[in-house]
Amino acid sequence: MDYIVLSVTILAIGIVGLVTKHDLIKMLIAIEMLTAAATMNFVVFGSLMENSLGQAFSILGLSVDACVTAVALALAIAIFKKLNIRDVRELSELKEEPSQEENQVMEEN
Amino acid sequence: MWLETALAIGMVTSAVFAIYLKETVASVLSLSTMMILLSLLYFNLNAPFAAIFQLALGTGTAAVFLLAGDTLTKKSDEKTSTKTKLAALVASAILSVPVVVGTVATQSFSSTLDMSLSSVLWDLRAIDVLAQGLVILTAALGVVLLLKEERRRK
Repeated sequence: MDYIVLSVTILAIGIVGLVTKHDLIKMLIAIEMLTAAATMNFVVFGSLMENSLGQAFSILGLSVDACVTAVALALAIAIFKKLNIRDVRELSELKEEPSQEENQVMEEN
Repeated sequence: MWLETALAIGMVTSAVFAIYLKETVASVLSLSTMMILLSLLYFNLNAPFAAIFQLALGTGTAAVFLLAGDTLTKKSDEKTSTKTKLAALVASAILSVPVVVGTVATQSFSSTLDMSLSSVLWDLRAIDVLAQGLVILTAALGVVLLLKEERRRK
């Protein structure tokens, strides 16, 4: 069995999840998967090189990943509390329509 | 060999289920299963520190964060149909095939330097560890500011 093929498979599943799911929490789960696949490569190559450099990188990567999850979840909670939205498609619909003055300026340019 | 293969198939299956399942709690549990299997794989690769960190941060902390996020932003209770579960099983079976039979040519290296974890972390990557502390503090500050803003609005 090859660990790189496993890592690529998990990365692919994560990318599919990130592209197809529109729920904020599900997207975070997909991001977790992507980072796990990337971190796995560090450990595997560290094991191949018979040193601890890969483990050190994986520890640093995991801590950053936890920070990313915490901040992203805080953002998701803030968005939900303010707008009652958990779907990213609804979020992109919130884009403001340009005013008449802005339209005129755009036409002039 | 059979242990690695079983862990890999388990990881692919739980990863597919984490994406396919509609209930967020079930998805988070599937992700946690995947992370536990990954940490077992790290133990098998003779990387105990990475395995312990994976268990603590990847499995524990991430699951707690995601479940808390789901509880605080609960909107609807969708149920996964049996058809979707079967589709997930088929997808994971198909994806497990390349994992079991596929290979990529890699070279084996070895170094003569002292590469124990403590020497790597505190000598080679000391600045990274310091920067890591800064990242964690900034993230904590960001979370506090985001949630404080909400409290003030209320």
